Amino acid sequence: MLSNKINSNDLLVIGDKKFTSRLFTGTGKFNDQKTMVAALQASQSQLVTMALKRVDMDHKEDDILAPLIKNGLNLLPNTSGARNAKEAIFAAQLAREALQTNWIKLEIHPDPKYLLPDPIETLKAAEFLAKDGFVVLPYVHADPVLCKHLQAAGCAAVMPLGAPIGSNKGIRTREFLEIIIEQATIPVIVDAGIGRPSDAAFAMELGADAVLVNTAIAVAGDPIAMSRAFAKAVEAGRQAYLAGLAGQYQHAVASSPLTAFLEAGLLKESV
Amino acid sequence: MNVIVNGNIFEIAPNSRIEGLLKSLDKPLNGSALAVNGEIISRTKWAEYRLCEGDNISLFQAIAGG
Repeated sequence: MLSNKINSNDLLVIGDKKFTSRLFTGTGKFNDQKTMVAALQASQSQLVTMALKRVDMDHKEDDILAPLIKNGLNLLPNTSGARNAKEAIFAAQLAREALQTNWIKLEIHPDPKYLLPDPIETLKAAEFLAKDGFVVLPYVHADPVLCKHLQAAGCAAVMPLGAPIGSNKGIRTREFLEIIIEQATIPVIVDAGIGRPSDAAFAMELGADAVLVNTAIAVAGDPIAMSRAFAKAVEAGRQAYLAGLAGQYQHAVASSPLTAFLEAGLLKESV
Repeated sequence: MNVIVNGNIFEIAPNSRIEGLLKSLDKPLNGSALAVNGEIISRTKWAEYRLCEGDNISLFQAIAGG
């Protein structure tokens, strides 16, 4: 039964880990740590992203690591800030030491205005990091050819964008995401641009294996309630995908047997 | 002796280890990573790794991010 598949066996496997939730979340941009932790709990997310920063010697940073570990969350450090493969590899190796995980969200965006990922440097870094034992999840443009190269390079998943980071513009790359999803033999996680729960549901309906959401939750009026909304949307989208969406038609297709009712001649008799 | 941490000069006792340096700077061990003169030092070596005069240390810490 399909319902059994959805409810009990529909696990997402990436590298050495299994996930029951297909909503991955970021930890950035929350107003305070308490809200962040509550929102992550409400999202039921099992994988959360983190960044690495050069320590400012004059300030003490909040310890956000302890509550994440306490809540049993898997950590996915990113290489945000890296502008080329060399910097990204260094950042990944630092992150492995800092967080004691070989998982890495590889992101290389040299342009601060659009934060679009550099495909050439990303592929170069992915090849190196996969050989160095990392579980590599690269953030990329929705480029089916690049995704095939990254898959061949040994990446554990690909993370194509829906729209620029933090733009909340939704899934603007539909045609290309569909090709990536069709071709990929590794999980496809739609990352960036998801601005509302319906965007997440839409990505899941297309057949994405998971989505990563940060800004849309963190800066929502009520991040905790928004987390719940996203969790439901992701689940709904996934179930819709598994159920098999009905096709679309240019013309109307009657849902009720109206013609048979009129043909019976009842209307004429009653006048 | 003096070492440089993220561009700032700190005076520390001779033969200081990395672990001792982080404690004296009131920086957390968990969630941190560092490189000495550009080479990443595994945290398993922090207790014994001996710093030298003029070492240039880059210290990083996990923070919130997307």
